[in-house]
Amino acid sequence: MINLRRGKFGLLMVLLLTVSLIALGCGGSEKDEAAENGQAEADVIKIGVYEPLTGTNAAGGQMTVEGIELAKQLYPEVLGKKVELVIVDNKSEKQEAANAVERLIGQENVNLIIGSYGSSLSMSGGPIAQDNGIPVIGCSPTNPAVTLDNDYYFRVCFIDPFQGTVMSNYAVNTLGAKTAAIIQDVQQDYSVGLASYFEKAFVASNGEGSIVEKVNYNTGDKDFSAQLTAVKATNPDVIFAPGNFLECGILVAKARELGITVPILGGDTWEAEEFLNQVKDYQDIYFSTHFTAEEPVTPVSTIFLDEYAKAYPDKPANAFGALGFDTYILALDAIERAGSADPEAIKNALAATEGFEGATGIITLDENGDATKTAVIKKVEGGQFVYETKVDPK
Amino acid sequence: MDDRLKTKFILNVVLLLAVALLIYWGQDNLNNFQIRILNLAGIFAILGVSLNLVLGFTGMFSLGHAGFMCIGAYTTAILTMSPRSKEIIYFMEPINPVLANIQWPVLPAIILGGIMAAVFGFLIGFPALRLRDDYLAIATLGFSEIIRIVVTNTITITNGALGLKNIPSIKSLWVYWLATILTILIIKRILNSSWGYAFKAIRDNEIAAEAMGINIFKHKLLSFTIGAFFAGLAGALMAHLITSVDPTMFRFLFTFQILLIVVMGGMGSISGSVVAALIVTIGMEVLRIVEQPMNLFGVLSIPGLPGMRMVIFSILLLLVILFYRQGLMGTREFNWDWLINKLSTFKLRKRGEAA
Repeated sequence: MINLRRGKFGLLMVLLLTVSLIALGCGGSEKDEAAENGQAEADVIKIGVYEPLTGTNAAGGQMTVEGIELAKQLYPEVLGKKVELVIVDNKSEKQEAANAVERLIGQENVNLIIGSYGSSLSMSGGPIAQDNGIPVIGCSPTNPAVTLDNDYYFRVCFIDPFQGTVMSNYAVNTLGAKTAAIIQDVQQDYSVGLASYFEKAFVASNGEGSIVEKVNYNTGDKDFSAQLTAVKATNPDVIFAPGNFLECGILVAKARELGITVPILGGDTWEAEEFLNQVKDYQDIYFSTHFTAEEPVTPVSTIFLDEYAKAYPDKPANAFGALGFDTYILALDAIERAGSADPEAIKNALAATEGFEGATGIITLDENGDATKTAVIKKVEGGQFVYETKVDPK
Repeated sequence: MDDRLKTKFILNVVLLLAVALLIYWGQDNLNNFQIRILNLAGIFAILGVSLNLVLGFTGMFSLGHAGFMCIGAYTTAILTMSPRSKEIIYFMEPINPVLANIQWPVLPAIILGGIMAAVFGFLIGFPALRLRDDYLAIATLGFSEIIRIVVTNTITITNGALGLKNIPSIKSLWVYWLATILTILIIKRILNSSWGYAFKAIRDNEIAAEAMGINIFKHKLLSFTIGAFFAGLAGALMAHLITSVDPTMFRFLFTFQILLIVVMGGMGSISGSVVAALIVTIGMEVLRIVEQPMNLFGVLSIPGLPGMRMVIFSILLLLVILFYRQGLMGTREFNWDWLINKLSTFKLRKRGEAA
């Protein structure tokens, strides 16, 4: 009896495998059908979105997708055709990200792709899009290597070198710092990148030896007393500690507990509720970000803020949502300028983007496809994020 | 009996030819997406089979596979990237001058990736294999994390957390599936040799095996090193499939994905691992349908729910565990004897009926 049941179950699994294979095979024939019905297809412009909706980076991916969907509700058409969003999850895994992009191109026949949160995910999708000649616009991958050597990858956020330099200039010019200490998360490309460019800019202004201490920690660490004690002993004017909001929240709170009162600086990842909850009793905490609600940089910012408040009344507007929003409207703008949905034409139009007004600022894409735009500096004061100043690119 | 061996040999050749024909057909008729999924399935099959050698056949609960993959992937990446790419990608700290101008062809680089992983497997196995069961699992898990953290910190060699890109891309089904078939054949040969019998004896009862004169430590180390070699090979192939690597790819969670394949296919069954690798990789993509917004007969419309396919997968795994405690294949293998026996009894019965 048991044997019989086992046999049946085995049969079921084999059946499942067969069905899977057939379904995978069917994708191809669907594509052929689509090609035959080319006339009907032409009324729709397909934009693929690959973002981490599950896994470790899910929070960021979801915020971005909210922004993209909001923009789509506002502007559902371009060139008189309907826009269709195809959103796929990349599970915060590199091989899934590669599969997702290949799927968007091979099965869904998209004209353009948006994504992804997380530089390493974008780097695994990039080469596939390049091989197939489909342009991609990244919302928030800040690692310089993403667009390097890839003519088809663009992005609306600024990159790590710019952010690190901005924070260094702010520390030197506004906070009057002569010495600095760096606390970095060696496992995060983001943290290492920011720290490295902060160091370069800071040393350029204050000379060799002005970085008095550089200590490391790893993602997931919860105890930072050793690093902070080492930093405290050198008595720097400022501390630069870019990294995840989770670890940095604990780190900054611990620093204040240990009696370190000097300003602590960070990057755009700090703009998160979880970070604020940890540090809301403290001050002199500064970070750079893409966007501010208090000081709309462009008219589009106002539109975004109003619509976001309407669509998500219980959530404050965030930078990732704004970047998602910008990516979508930039995509539409490029398609309009290209005058067709041809990927090659869209790519050329994107490369020529200059002075585009987005919610996060005025975007000009340089020869690498990176955005040069205004950075915003915010600080923590009275338990809230408060707008401090903005820094224009040179 | 000779007759049967001959039939089996012919059947094997026919099967290999059929697979070759299938690959040939697939290369021309499948689109890039389908080829990519099949290639990934091939890599997971190599990983599954090699972990099965360690876990299912030698009975060592090792969780170090992600670390060995990491070594293989980085070895081939550094060796095959063009000097020009290296110059622009190592922008934080320049690459070690010894490595800056090296550019190897892909094939030797992939094999060296496997060998490097095997060397590390040997070095790690030496102290770690004195432990057993859960303790070994913890030790190997720890070593795999150490490998990843060392890779993160040796910036002049690996570019640290920033990762590497522009690794030469390989898209052909042939490369991945040839590697898969070779892996299966080699491991099959090993298992049918005296080493293989020793491995299984150790798995079943270590003390009894030792009493029979098997050198436990030597055989454990052998199995562990061979497993590491194929893990490194799979890691190297993965680097060429994705064309970029970074240390976060090889977190210990990745090992559990391989473990899932081994457990699902059956600990101690090579064919089970291959089938499970295919089911998991292809199933993951096919199940994307459930995450898309759906409209059921115009009555019920469901918005797209990210993560649904993982839920379905968990249910499937639960079903496997409930009804098929030893995995899909248990310790059985796909073999011709079984098929021939079935066929001949069928023939006999038919003849009996006719008479």
